[in-house]
Amino acid sequence: MRKFLIGMLATVAMTSAAAAQGFPDKPVRLVTPYAPGGSHSLHAGVITSLAEAHLGQPLISVIRPGGGGAIAASEIAAGQADGYVLLFGDPTINSLRPQIEALSYKVDDFVPIARINYSPAVFVAGADAPFSDLKGMVEYAKANPNKLVYSSDNVNGFTYVAFELLKKASGTEMKGIQFGGGGPAIAQVIGGHTMAYAGDPALVVDHITSGKVKPICVTDLERHPTVPDVPTCKEAGQDIVWQFWRGILVKNGTPQDVIDKLRDAFKKISDDEGFRKLIASIRSSVNYLDGPEFAELLEREQADLKAMAENLKQ
Amino acid sequence: MLDNILEGFMLMANFGTLAAAAVGVIAGIITGAIPGLTATMAVAVLVPFTFFVSPIIGIPFLLGVFKGAIYGGSIPAITINTPGTAAAAATTIDGHALAQKGQARRALEMALYACVFGDLFATIILIFAAQMLAQVALEFSSPDFTMLLLFSLTMIAAVSGKSMVKGLIAAAAGALIGVIGLDPMSGTSRFTFGVPDMMGGISLIPLLIGMFALPEAIIQMERKQKTISPIDGNAGPKLSAKEFSSHWRTLCRSSSIGAFIGALPGMGAEIACWIAYGVSSKRSRRPHEYGKGSMEGVAAAESAANATCPACLVPMLAFAIPGDTVTAILLGAFMAHNINPGPLLFQQHGELIYALFAVLIVSNLMLLVFGRVAIRWLRNIGFVPNGLLLPSVIALCFAGSFAVNSSYFDMVVTLIGGVVGVLMRKMNVPVAPLIISLLLAPSLEQNIRQSLAFSDGSLGIFVTRPIAAGLLLLTVLSIAGFAWSQIRQSKSTSDLESTVEEQGGKAV
Repeated sequence: MRKFLIGMLATVAMTSAAAAQGFPDKPVRLVTPYAPGGSHSLHAGVITSLAEAHLGQPLISVIRPGGGGAIAASEIAAGQADGYVLLFGDPTINSLRPQIEALSYKVDDFVPIARINYSPAVFVAGADAPFSDLKGMVEYAKANPNKLVYSSDNVNGFTYVAFELLKKASGTEMKGIQFGGGGPAIAQVIGGHTMAYAGDPALVVDHITSGKVKPICVTDLERHPTVPDVPTCKEAGQDIVWQFWRGILVKNGTPQDVIDKLRDAFKKISDDEGFRKLIASIRSSVNYLDGPEFAELLEREQADLKAMAENLKQ
Repeated sequence: MLDNILEGFMLMANFGTLAAAAVGVIAGIITGAIPGLTATMAVAVLVPFTFFVSPIIGIPFLLGVFKGAIYGGSIPAITINTPGTAAAAATTIDGHALAQKGQARRALEMALYACVFGDLFATIILIFAAQMLAQVALEFSSPDFTMLLLFSLTMIAAVSGKSMVKGLIAAAAGALIGVIGLDPMSGTSRFTFGVPDMMGGISLIPLLIGMFALPEAIIQMERKQKTISPIDGNAGPKLSAKEFSSHWRTLCRSSSIGAFIGALPGMGAEIACWIAYGVSSKRSRRPHEYGKGSMEGVAAAESAANATCPACLVPMLAFAIPGDTVTAILLGAFMAHNINPGPLLFQQHGELIYALFAVLIVSNLMLLVFGRVAIRWLRNIGFVPNGLLLPSVIALCFAGSFAVNSSYFDMVVTLIGGVVGVLMRKMNVPVAPLIISLLLAPSLEQNIRQSLAFSDGSLGIFVTRPIAAGLLLLTVLSIAGFAWSQIRQSKSTSDLESTVEEQGGKAV
């Protein structure tokens, strides 16, 4: 079945392969690897609605969920390297899972075009949890191994990795329960069933403001503008940086001039005032990185995550 | 409070808002009526468009789409035995049976009025008890969900038809299909045979379309009828107000079930319709009609399905917790419009909440109006000859199953589902139990394993928590009740069957 899809993509691609210098001479597809409704599909909706003016051709949003993002990535990695199909990737799809799971694509099957933005994770504790800062949390976890129960998302997911990094940095053992997504996970913290969670600021900030959860720390180099009183994890005593980026990647082997054109188009999109306004309206921001900077970030991140995964195995 | 609601209506009483709600409801009904295009997808696709308009237009539009789509699913469920959305799956059983008896109009009208009733009922509950309901929903943790899902599974008994054994076989098959894909806790691949498409599991909607729609079309073809097959929408008697109100008990019970299930994070119309259907069949004075064209069955399934629409807004509005995909998308849309749900919303933006209630009520009335128009149009479908209609239905089904995940693999799932569906029909194995258990088994597994992670493997967690223990008791009682009625029925049916045979078996 995959061959069929690849065949389809190939026929579409061949019609224009000869005219690579005219890129793009037909609509480009941006593939969201997750189900509609999450932050990825919202971002993709904004990007695709404004891209045409900068790309010269419409950018079509394709939603292709499945296998936690692995299906879309596998299909693109197996498709044509002509620049007409872009992956809306993230660290779990592009850096973590291909290194530690048996997937049909590898980390270097993709070339970075642009990082659109990123979200750090905010560690929070339930209102009734027996700790209210990172020091207390680590002490509690040390004194009570595996008694600190936290809400996790999925194996190798955003929250999952945040806690693995914390456990590794602090040398503690805590018990994660996977709830599959941010919504149910935070509901279990607020309901008092679990003690802690780490997630996207857009999801947790309101609960911090209303006092339903206690903020612990932010997994970033700087404090987050929506919660300026909450320290970074480094300030709070554990050196953890975990940035969940959203970025555009294309299949490795795409001609350099096509890559350059795409990088140029996404630079212009991220500078667009209207784009910044719309991104702000979905409570997100633009933290643009160009292709080479993004490539550097990926290299560092892939090494870090590999080290974390190897540490986990032991 | 009444002042506030009036104020809310005033805020909504402008042309743009009403038009947006109307367009939303119409778009929703059409999307819902096309198998494969679900409420979730409709809302997700339309959200970016609302970024460009004011919230007073965008939000009513999206809510209209949501409601319209949940209702719209019942139209093909009744006319061509194919649920337009998973929320209408329970409606096929009695709805289509009624249509085959030439009472399509009554069934369609019942579905519409039940939807509107359920929706209104749940909206009123939302107005008076949103905060309280949200608090109860937060008390639910994995062990409680486990027991609720287990209780829902007993509803298989209500839809197994004549043979409980065949029903259980179908249910077991559904549960096994549900096991395919990534393990929910460890992420290991199970039964994927190295096919990446199977990592995400077998999608429910493509299979649902395959098992309901294709067999319907194939079996119709076998009959080689030249006459009109999808039953004329205007055929048969009208539903009288008296008849509708005679079902008030079922309607209120099912709407309450829908409102409660909808308020729980992660539970929605797809599950509520089966629970309401099962409970009603058990509490009914005419249980023998269920499965053969019970108006009560249609009323129960549809009122519960639409009662979940306002109810699922409860955890979202009160705590900014999205209960399911649709509410997650709506939450994003609310935030995009600078309305931040959560406890502060009730205190800071009271007028917005009441305006929202007003929107819910107004779009509900619109659903009534446009639903009636839709029913009238179905007459035209009835004039399409089978030779044109059935291929179109099949094409639409494959297009719909592709649309769910943009996946060719899903079209294969639909095809296989269709073949298996024909075989199941020929062998009188009911399809509904398979669908219910495929729907419930993955969440049940996940919740059992979450619970055991909480308790370090002790099963005690299922009886020490009051909610879980209560639901467990309910499950035991429910199974005992079914067993008892089965024994009693088998005695009385043998009597009944002998009388029927004497009369020439017309009733069968």
